[in-house]
Parts: sequence; C-alpha cells; structure tokens
Amino acid sequence: MKSVLYTCPFVPAEWIAACGLDPMRMTPERAGEGMPAGVCPFAAAFIHAASTTNACAIIVTTVCDQMSRSAEIIEARCETPVFLMNVPATWRTEEAAKLYRDELARLGRFLEDLGGAKPTPEQLIETMLHYDSLRAKRRADDETARPKGLPLILAGGPLRSTDIEIFDLIEQAGGTVVLDATAGGEMTLPAPFDRARLASDPAGELADAYFARIPHAMRRPDNQLHEYLNRELTARGARGVIYRRYQWCDTWHGEAGRLKDSLPAPVLDLVAGDDESDRAHVLTRIQAFVEMLK
Amino acid sequence: MNDTPAQITLDQWDERYDQLRSAGLVEPSYGGPLRRHLADGDTRLAHLRYDNSPAALRLWNFLLTEEDRLRDARAAGAKIVGAMKDLGTVAVMACSMDNVVAFYPDGAWWIPCMMELGAGLLNIADSLGFDESFCPVRAMLGAFVTGEHFPRPDLLTCSVGATCDDFSAIAQRIEAMGEKIVWWEAPHRRRPDRGETPVELPGGFVAPQCQVDFVRGELQRVADALADLTGAKLDSHMLAAGIEAANRVRAVLRELRQLAYTAEPCPMGALEMLIAEMLAIHFCSDRTESIAVLDGLLDEVKRRVDAGLGVARPGAARIFWINPVADLRVMNLLEECGGRICGTEYLFPHAIDKIPTDIEPMEALARMALADPMIGPSAGRAARICDDISKFGAQAAVISRISGASHCAMEGTVIADRIRKNLGVPVLEIETPPLSDSMRPTLKTRLEALVEIVKRQKG
Repeated sequence: MKSVLYTCPFVPAEWIAACGLDPMRMTPERAGEGMPAGVCPFAAAFIHAASTTNACAIIVTTVCDQMSRSAEIIEARCETPVFLMNVPATWRTEEAAKLYRDELARLGRFLEDLGGAKPTPEQLIETMLHYDSLRAKRRADDETARPKGLPLILAGGPLRSTDIEIFDLIEQAGGTVVLDATAGGEMTLPAPFDRARLASDPAGELADAYFARIPHAMRRPDNQLHEYLNRELTARGARGVIYRRYQWCDTWHGEAGRLKDSLPAPVLDLVAGDDESDRAHVLTRIQAFVEMLK
Repeated sequence: MNDTPAQITLDQWDERYDQLRSAGLVEPSYGGPLRRHLADGDTRLAHLRYDNSPAALRLWNFLLTEEDRLRDARAAGAKIVGAMKDLGTVAVMACSMDNVVAFYPDGAWWIPCMMELGAGLLNIADSLGFDESFCPVRAMLGAFVTGEHFPRPDLLTCSVGATCDDFSAIAQRIEAMGEKIVWWEAPHRRRPDRGETPVELPGGFVAPQCQVDFVRGELQRVADALADLTGAKLDSHMLAAGIEAANRVRAVLRELRQLAYTAEPCPMGALEMLIAEMLAIHFCSDRTESIAVLDGLLDEVKRRVDAGLGVARPGAARIFWINPVADLRVMNLLEECGGRICGTEYLFPHAIDKIPTDIEPMEALARMALADPMIGPSAGRAARICDDISKFGAQAAVISRISGASHCAMEGTVIADRIRKNLGVPVLEIETPPLSDSMRPTLKTRLEALVEIVKRQKG
C-alpha cells in the first residue's frame, strides 16, 4: 500500500486510510547541518526527513509559518508530490470550520489522484471507528502504564524522535509524565467520535473532532490550550509543567510566559536547540525542578 | 534661498528651517522644526541624514506627530481602530466610515530605533516572555503595556493564519492582557486546483475564487465589528468611496516610486522614500493629509527630475531593497556607501497596487488582501521581486533580514536563489537590529563590497 507522510496532528489519519492509502505519521530525527540560522529545529528535521522519504506523497499544514514554508522547500528538493493543507488559526466561526472541511475534501481529491479512492460513508465510518478504538486503547494504556514519581505534565511543541529521551530524563530526575501535552502527544489527539453523528455525517464528525477539539498554540484565540492544561493539571494531580519548546519556534515560545503567569502550578521553560551537549544541562534543570516541587 | 537637493543633518536642518521660514514657508498645523521631536525622545533623529526639501520636512513632521493626531481624534470623539497585521485592508475599510481613524500598532516596531531603546519597550516585551528571538515588532507589546505611544484603541483587529508566527503570538499576548481582538483569517494563498475558478489578483497572483470568497466573508466580519463600534453600517457606496481615496494615495505613490527609483541622478533619498511608502498601509492616521504629503513629495521629485538634480552622486549603484529595516539609519548608510534605491519590496507591494474598482468593493478588498505576497509561497514573492528588479533596472539586491522574524529564515534563501538564477544580479543578505551602530563597520564593509561588485560589472 502506498504511504502518505505527514506529521501535523490536524491531519486525520483515518481520512487517508479511508481513501485506501497508508497514513505514515512521522516523528523526524534531528536534521543536522544545512539549514539557515533562524529555522526551527523541528521544521528543519521535517524538511530533511521528508525530502528523502519513500512515501508517495507528503502532507504539510499551515499550523505555523515555518512549516508552511517548508512545503515549497521540500518540493524543490524532491519529486514527491506535496499537499499543503490550510488549517485555519481561527476556530470559532462556521466559516473557519467550513474551510477546514473543504480542505479535507481537497485532500481527498489529491489522494484520489495518487491512486486512492473516494471512500463510501460506510468505509469512512468503519475506518473512523477503528482509529477511535486505537486511540481509546492508547489513552487507557497511558493511564495504567504510569510509573510512580512526581506527577508532571510535559507540554510544548512537537518532539523529534531524538527528543523522546526527555521522558527518560524526567524519570531519572524522579518525575513521571502524567500527560503528554506536546504537539503530537495525547493533548493533540482528536476527540472521541460522537457515535450518533458518526452514522449520519461521518465527514462532518471527523472534521469537528479534529478541528474543533484539538487545543494548539496556533489557535486564535488560544483559550482552548489554557483551559485544557488548567483542567488536566487538576484532573491528573500534576504538580508542575515542563514546557519544552524549540529555539525559533515562535508559536510555542509565545505561550511560555503566559502559562507561567496563569497556570496554578510551576512551569519549567526548557528551550531545545540542536546541541547534543544540552542533555546534561536539561537533566540538571529537570532535577532541580523536581527537587523544588518535592 | 538655495533649493539644491542635499541630505543634511538635524543640526543643519535647524538653520535650514529658519531660512525656509524667513522665505515664507507655510506649514500645516503639525509643522515645526524637526528638532522638537528630540524632546519627545526620538533621539535617533540626531543620527540621521534628511532630505532638505520642505516636502520632506512635512513628511517627517507628519510621521512624527501621529500620536498627537490620534489623541486629538479621540478627544474630538472619533473612534480609533488598531489594525494589526494589516497591510492596507482594514485601514481602507475603517477610513471609509465617518468619524473613524485607523492606525497600525505594528508601527511601534520602529520605536526602539527612534528612541534608541529609551522607551524600554523591548525590556517590557522581554519581561513578558518575548525576547530577542522574536521580531522587533515585539515593541508593540511594550507599547500596549505603557499606553504611552498610542491611545488605547476602541477596536482592535488582527489578521492571522498565513501571517508571521511572531506577530500572531504577540497579538495573542495582548489579548490575554485584556484587549479584545477581532481575529480574521488570511488563508495561505494557493493556486487553483483542477476545476476551481481562477481569479487574477492585483499584482498578478492567481487564487481560486473560493479563497477570495472566504476572505470576503472574513472582511465582512470586520465590517460588522466596525458597524457595532460606530452604530453605522459600512455600505458599498461608502466602501467604494474609501477605495477611491486609497487608490489616490496608491497612484501618487506609484508615480513617486517610478520617478524616484528610475531617474538619474536619484532625486529623493532612501529614507524619505521608505517613510513615504509606509503611508500606503494606514495613511499615518489621516488619509487626506497623507495624500497632500505625498503630492508635495511628488512635486519636489518632479521639479528635481526636470532640473536634472538629485541627492546621490550620478552613477550610484542601483540597489533593489527587500524588507523594511529595523534601523532607519541603514538606509542612509547605503547611500554613504555609494548606492541608491532602485526599487523596493517592503512586504506590501499589494498595498501600492490599484484596488480594483470595476467589481463589488468588498470583493475588490478581498482580492487585494489575498494578493499579499507574504501569505503565499515565497517563490511567488520572489517572482514578483524579480519582475520589479527588471522593471526598475536595479543592478543588485539587498535582502534585509528582520532579526527573529519567523518568515525570514526560509524565504531569504528562496528569494536570493531566484534572483541570482533568473537575473544573475548580485544579492546581499544582511540583518539589522533596531540599533545597528555596533554592527555599522561590518554593514558598511558589506554594502561597500556590493557597490564595488556592481561598479566592476558596469566597468
């Protein structure tokens, strides 16, 4: 089956799967050298990985300026078709929701051109239910698999595969991540599907579960993100928030100061660059944070 | 009275001002000697070199009295609209209504330069989590906190979507401080897909009609907010009249640019032309007066062109400038290094294009908003820049990166590569902070090297 590469949480995997293609969500590795100064390390990593992919297509979204612009950089570097999907920053108007739905329809046509097939409502429903159950299982597994330690929320921008080590560092420091609120973690999973609406309007339910419900720093206004973190902080008994963002990522950086001011728990603001030697420094800071909370 | 064009210092302007007054200079209400703005804290003025014409004096005084103008408007009962991240769309709408004044809060990005960091706006932004990794427009955040650089707007709008992440994040922080914002979405412009109706936009880009329709709907939301603010509906007739007036500004500016950027010797300095171009975005809070100011500047340029006079030495290297500079002094530096401006792209060429008048006014504004080169692929922006470089006959290009701006890191390379490949002209990328004095020797060396390359090519 042909694979379609993407990384953004606003791209519904079940939509790609229902079109008969294999959704391949990528967590890129560190990119190394070769990008101009000022480029976000995640965007650089995505460009690097996408430019060498074997996938039959790449989906990029407009969730941030640099990812939007990365689409044309990737197009210039490889032959793989690139689809740039418009994800509106505004979300409270019917027009914004319609734009997102229209973009899904446009994506569907793009996938058809790649050899995919327009799904019947029944196929779409079946695929959505399958993915919904996988996500429910993931949530349940996360709930039961937590080791004991100081409960913390990890929030911030998306992680590269090489950044996942931060979970180990937090555990080494005596903490436990009770919520992955990074862009790509549990926070950015779509809402569970409304079964009643699923039967009558699967495409509408799919769009709403993603577009209307995923909190993200790029949304304007951004109150979903703050409400979500406030709510989950209490619900999960978290004692603090480790906020991890990339250098040059303005979208997530911009939230850091306000979260420090508004969340009812301490926030550790970690800036991730591309320097391997950061590791010891990061561990020391997390250890100090955990000790302070204990 | 000596009318020979020259670039003079602030000290020289004192004497020049007295001479002009003695010769019968008539000034508008905001007129006066430039030096008085130093007392307001605009200390950068002491380090700039200015055109010596009465028209330039009027331009500078117009620019530097905007805050007074806004406060006077507020006192007179006008509603004040802050149009954030708006390059010539919401201002056109707001100025179409009676008793409404629009301004551009983003303009605060020049305050750290003008006040040589004396206002402390960047420190305030720092304290709120917006450090130097953000574009200098973060100064706007400080300006909202202090309330000292513009009155608190009655309505704040902000374009988001395909816009700079820096700005979007900063505006969000402003909203979190209690300023209500009407967010309107500018989608990433794309080419029409198969089966979609194409629309040619002002400036030549093409977009699908569905995107134009979407933007039109977003602008209607802004119009509704203006109606809520004023109690009066913005109808098509009012908007058509507003577009006509905006087109007058744009037409004068196009003629001014054509003359100033092509005549030999260069009839008007880079600094004054930069300020003049900025008037297209928001009319410096007074549309009628901005037309008068630009008319005066155009008359002066025509007089000089007819007389074969200019401010730069004949044969100066013809440079196309891309992006506005955070430190105005750099525009002087280019001329000191033997260059002159021959074409610009200060991020808003669409705000200089004529707004269509043969279609429904809101449709015309939507097309114009979607023609913003910043909301589409960098390659599209680069293509338009290449066209303009050819049109103005520039011999080299300077890409002035805006430190920390989310768009600059990637697009600079795309634009530079395109210019080199398509036109074969040299390209220099520089980056300037709001105060570039410490970098001045380096900048000077690099600009001189570019000028030298151009002159060698000519030879």
